[in-house]
Formats: sequence, C-alpha cells, structure tokens
Amino acid sequence: MKRLQLQQWSGSALSPRARPACGRLLYAGLRRQTTVSSTTTDAAPAADAGVATSRQLAQAPVLAASSQMSRRLLPSPPVEAARESAKLAALHARLYLPSRFPLETLARTLVHASADPNADFNNQSLATLGDDLLAYYATEHLLCTYPRLPLTVVFAAMYAYVGKKTLAAMAREWGVELAAAPGGEVDPGLLQFHRITPGTSLNTGPITGTTRPNDDRTSWRRGMTSRVVYDDHFGEPTMAPGATQQSTSNITPTVTAEEASATFVRAIMGAIYLHAGRPAAKRFFSQHFLSRHLNISELFNFSQPARDLSRLCAREGFESPVAKIISETGRKSRHPVFVVGIFSGKDKLGEGAGSSLLEARSRAAVAALKGWYLYSPLDVRVPSSMEEDGAAPWKPVYIDPGEVVV
Amino acid sequence: MRPSVRLLTPEASSRQVSRLLYLCSTCRQQVSRPARSVVTLAQPFGRRHASSDSSSSSSATTPLTEKVRRKIWGTDNPPGLKDPYGGDGAISRALGGSTNENNLAESTGQQELETVTGEDPLAAAASSSGYVPAMTWEGLPTIGHLGRWSDLPPSQADAYSPFVAKKRLVKEGLVALAAHQAAVELALLRSLGKPLTAVCDVLEHDESIFKLIWECKIQPGAEGAWEGALVFPNEETEKALSFVFEQIGGVAEEDIPEATAAEAAEVDEAEMEFDDVEEESASATSSKPIPFFGYDNVQDEGFLALSLDDLATKFAFLKRFAQLSGHFFPDPTIHSITTVQQALEYVHSVNNPKPKKLAHQLAASAELQDLSNVKVFLTRRRAAHRDEELGRKKIIDAELRARGLME
Repeated sequence: MKRLQLQQWSGSALSPRARPACGRLLYAGLRRQTTVSSTTTDAAPAADAGVATSRQLAQAPVLAASSQMSRRLLPSPPVEAARESAKLAALHARLYLPSRFPLETLARTLVHASADPNADFNNQSLATLGDDLLAYYATEHLLCTYPRLPLTVVFAAMYAYVGKKTLAAMAREWGVELAAAPGGEVDPGLLQFHRITPGTSLNTGPITGTTRPNDDRTSWRRGMTSRVVYDDHFGEPTMAPGATQQSTSNITPTVTAEEASATFVRAIMGAIYLHAGRPAAKRFFSQHFLSRHLNISELFNFSQPARDLSRLCAREGFESPVAKIISETGRKSRHPVFVVGIFSGKDKLGEGAGSSLLEARSRAAVAALKGWYLYSPLDVRVPSSMEEDGAAPWKPVYIDPGEVVV
Repeated sequence: MRPSVRLLTPEASSRQVSRLLYLCSTCRQQVSRPARSVVTLAQPFGRRHASSDSSSSSSATTPLTEKVRRKIWGTDNPPGLKDPYGGDGAISRALGGSTNENNLAESTGQQELETVTGEDPLAAAASSSGYVPAMTWEGLPTIGHLGRWSDLPPSQADAYSPFVAKKRLVKEGLVALAAHQAAVELALLRSLGKPLTAVCDVLEHDESIFKLIWECKIQPGAEGAWEGALVFPNEETEKALSFVFEQIGGVAEEDIPEATAAEAAEVDEAEMEFDDVEEESASATSSKPIPFFGYDNVQDEGFLALSLDDLATKFAFLKRFAQLSGHFFPDPTIHSITTVQQALEYVHSVNNPKPKKLAHQLAASAELQDLSNVKVFLTRRRAAHRDEELGRKKIIDAELRARGLME
C-alpha cells in the first residue's frame, strides 16, 4: 500500500489562508443546529472537512471583521484572533514547534470539544490522531526495549508515558493556562473547555456503555488478556460512540481540566504530524515523552515472587531455583541482616537482603524476576524507524513467550 | 530717618536730661529739636549752615558734608570731585545733557513747557527754523492709549510680518528644497563676495529664478568645503543668477546714482511695477499657497554634505533656511549642527516628534512589532480586561444581572 502524503493534505486543508474568518462566520449561524460530529479515527476525514471549508469559502461573501461583542456570541475564538495573541506565539516558540505549524492550528488544538462542538473548530480530530500516534510510538518503544515485560507492567508504563495524568502534567509544564470559560472573546492562547460542575461525583460506579461484550455483567472478572482485545492501550474499557452521543445530547458536555489538558497534548501531536510530517512528530515524541524518566522496575508488584520464579524456571527449562544464604550478620541481635541468593544450578539468578530469611529470599526472587523481565536488547530498533529514508534492512526484534501464568 | 543721617542730627546731651532716666536716641533728638537755638553752642556738628540766623558766613556756605570731608582729609582742599555728595548724580547729569542735545523733539509736553517758559535757546533756534509748536495733541505721534484701545484704527505699527515663513514645511521634499535653495544662494553670494545674510531680504524669488536655482547642483569639496561647490547646468544660468544676485545686498542701489536721473526714475518706476507684480504674485500665491512653485523635491542631494563649521556660513545658512522653511533653530541645536544634513535631520525630528507616552513609543517601535509574543496595549490593563481575556467576564455579568445588581 502506498503511503499517504499527509503533508500535502495539511498544506491545502489546514493552512491559515484556507481558513479565514468568513468561512468561520458562515458557520456561526449553522453551528447551533449541528450535532456533535462522529469521532474521526484517522486524518482523512479532518482533511476532507478542511477542503470543504475552503470550497465554501470561495463562494461565501466577505463579511466584516467581528467586533468584540459579536465575538462573545462565538463558542470559541475566531481564526483571525490567533495572529493577535501573544500567549499563542509564546507557546509556539516555547514548544519549539516548526514554522510550518501555523498559529491558527495551535489555537485550534486549545479548543476542546466541550467548548466548541463543531468538529471543524475543535481539537477532537487532531486529538484522535495524536492519541493513536502517541500510543503507537509508546507501545513500540516499550515492546522493543523491554520485550519480556508482563502485560500489567506494559499497561502501567503506557499510562506513565502517555496517560491522562502525564499529559496534563506536561501541559502544565509547558505553561498552558486554562480559560475560566470558553468563548469567542477569550484569548486563543488559553485552553478552553467547559469545566465540570463543582460537586459532581467522578466515580459513578461500574462503567457501562463500553465496547466489551456482556458489559452489563459488572461482577464478571475482566481478564488481563481480554484487555488486549477489548480495551484501550491502558487496559481500560473504551466507551462506545453511541453512549457518548446519548450523554451529550441532553446536557452540555463537561470535562475535567486534566482531560482537557491531555486532549490538548494529543492534538498537538496530531497537528505536528499533519503539518510538519512524521519525522517531526517522532522527534517531538522523543524529546517530550521519551525524555521523561520512567523507572519501570518500580512498576512491578509481585505477590508471590518465589512461586513465580520457580514457575518461570520450570517453563524455561532451568534448574529449579534454590535460595542460599550468602552472608548474614547479627542473627541474635535486634537488627539482623541476611543476604540470600537464589541459584539455579551454578547460576545466581538474584540476590536480596532482608531482616529475616524469608524477606531476604523474597527480595532475591523479586530481583531475579526483574532481571528476567527487564531484559533489554543492546541494539533496539523500532518498526517506525523503517519509515526513514535509507533505513537498514529490518531484523526481527526479540519476541518473548510472555509472562508466567500461575 | 536713615541711620547715616541720624548720626549727624543733634541729640540732647546727658547733661540736659536726668541721669536717672534712660532716654533713647530718638527721644534725645526730640528733646534737642525745640532747644536747638539754646544748645547751638554745645553742638559741634549742629546744622548751623541751614539756619538763617547763623553768624558765621563761611559755615553757611560750606555744607556739612564738605566740612566732614575736609576734616577727614585734614585740609581745606580735599582731593577728588569738587562736590562728591551734592548736586545731581552722574546719570542724571548725563541724561540732562542728552535731552538737551536731542532738542526734545519727541517729548512734546516738555517742549511745550519750554516754549511757554521761552528760556531754552535751543527751542528758540527751533522756532527760528520754522518750527510751529503744537497747541493741541491732534496730529502728534502718540504712544499708548487712554482706554478703549480696541476702538482705535489699526496703524502701520500694528501690522506684523514675521521674518520666518508663517507656515512650517512638513514634507521632506519641500524641506530639502528650502535647504538646497539656501545652499545655492549662499554659494552664489560667496562667489560674488556679497554679505551672506543679504539674501534674506528676498523672501521669495520669481519662478524663473527659482527654476534656475533648482537646476543648480552642489558638489562640495573635501570635508564639505563651499569653494567651487556650485555647479551650474550651463553658462546662461550662471550669468542670469550672477546678474540677479548682483542686485541683492544694496549694490544695485549704489549703481543707480551712476545712471541719469531719468533712468533712475525709470528704474524706480520699474521697481515699483516689479513690486506691484511681486505683491500680486504674493497675493496670488497666498490665495493658493503652493510652496516652491510646485516643485516637490531636489534634483541632487550633494548639498547635504556641505560643511557648516564656519560660524558666519552656519549663521547665514540657518537664517535663510529658517526663513524659507519656517522652522526655528534653538541655540543648542545651532551649536551642535556642523553640516546641512544635521540641519535637515533636526527639522525631520521636529516634524516627526517622538510620542510623549511610553505606550505609544513602544507601540510604534518596529523592534517590538516584530516580536509576536509581545503585545503592547495603549491603555492600562485592568482586572476587567483580565476577566474578559479569561472568559470570566460574561459569567460575572450574568451573575450580577441575575441578582439585579447590574442592568
């Protein structure tokens, strides 16, 4: 399949010249009747919408620039306000975004769908694309760097890299300020969304309306393997599109600041991909996401490490592990210290110190398991590196049979 | 009574008043006054010269100050002026002499007084030369008014024509034209050996002459020297301009007596006609003021490099330039100007002054306009602006309206 030329689309559909204010004002009267557009899953529908806008704008009469009062009637700032905002230019420079990335698109990434339901002017499509890109780049990085990670740790690491909380923290670190309420008169450099009403309970019990089968059986166990099939890249259930439409048709959708900030970061990623291309998007990911230090060894949580280790050795054909005291001190004292090593035959798998023999053995088993699961190949190549020009022939990466199932 | 004079007045001595009673100096003088004739002999410095019943004739003629002076010097003929303390002062004497010499032509009141008295020989001489003294104020030159000055008809002295142009030149090209014209005129006068400031007598040239001036170019020598800087387009222009500028500065009037009286009369008539024409043209130009006859810029800019280091040249140039352009040059600026370029820069800075408010200065600075992350507001940012920017204002307004606190 021939690769899509997304840069050409972005040039025609998302350049500031193609989306001036008159097209925007043309939509102002119609936007009250529009429903929330369906979630776009790739870049093509967004680009089509942009092309449609530019077509309509060719026939639209040139209207006068909107005044401050008429701006209040708009749900989000008009497109021409992006050039006037100092905050937006500062954010553009602070993120070191490429010059091909226009300020108008940056302003669009700051408009959440709860502020402006019109999909032509909110960041929903960009966020969808950006979310997929983030998930893809983070997943390939994790799987190729640590091929033996258990699935729970993969989910936790994914959440730590591109999860909601992380993205919100990144937006805060970038200096993105939040608008009190969305509107056309608001500075385009502020993140705009409809805030959730104070006092609203966020934990509303078991989640329904997901894409999983037998969704109403709340007591059924959600197995870890099934999450790969049904759930999102964090192992959390994804909401069916019909359920969200039903909920937004009644009341104005409201989101938390964390959710809006995360959407903004995803939209930035998608917009960079559209405007500056894949290399810039990948560079942005490595500079802003992979550069964040994540200690994966702390993500493990073993309940019975000795048992897991013996199962692992049995599966891999090693000799069964034996714990041996390497050294000890103060056995009769108040603070004894035992250093226990776990050996498989003559090979020491791990070593741990504890105040009791059992604790030391457990720590040694944890160390042995982490040593196994945190194996990382020396020369890591991810599949997306093959898209670069002049890339070396692909050598298959190491695939592990997986974690031990006890 | 001044203290110096007070010292000379007699006081009652302690013998005349009671020793138990203290008397101040004023009281002693008061005591002594009625008893002056009684205590005359007891007072060494009494005013005997002023009293009519004085027995000594020498003391009557010699004033007290003279006596004091003689005593100080210890001789009857003290050095110095003859009467240093008496008589008129040096200024009043000088004034009195000059007023007598001027024959009191201006001060009619004094003249009348003198004619009435008839004692002034100068007035008599004036009457002998056909002078008729005025009996009323009619027809006499007046200074000032007796109220209701606004009812008086305008006199010749009321009209004021400023030296510099009434309207300042603003356009860059017109200012350059004025500077170029001044430079060409000064270069011409220098070459003709005329006084440089004489060109200011002619406020505006004829259009043909101005065209000739406009066609001249200036190519200054090393370091902006004026010598040989003027370049004429052709010989005819040089001759014409030399002929015209020969007549400036009063030399033409000197030539007139050489001609015959009839020619002089013709010249006078011609000048009169020329003046009329000038007046007409002036009135015509005032009706539709087109400065420099529609020329909007100079041909070359070589005059900008002309040096104004010579003080006489600088003064003459700036005077003529101020007259043509209407821009006044303050003294510090005159002191700092060394080239024609700097004079033009000063006029440019006057025409385009820096904004007084810092916000306007910042808004006009191209450096800040290039910075997209800097926004300059011309008004102070207040809390309402911040609320508007954050989108909070409409919520506040809605809440205030809901509570009836705002219409």
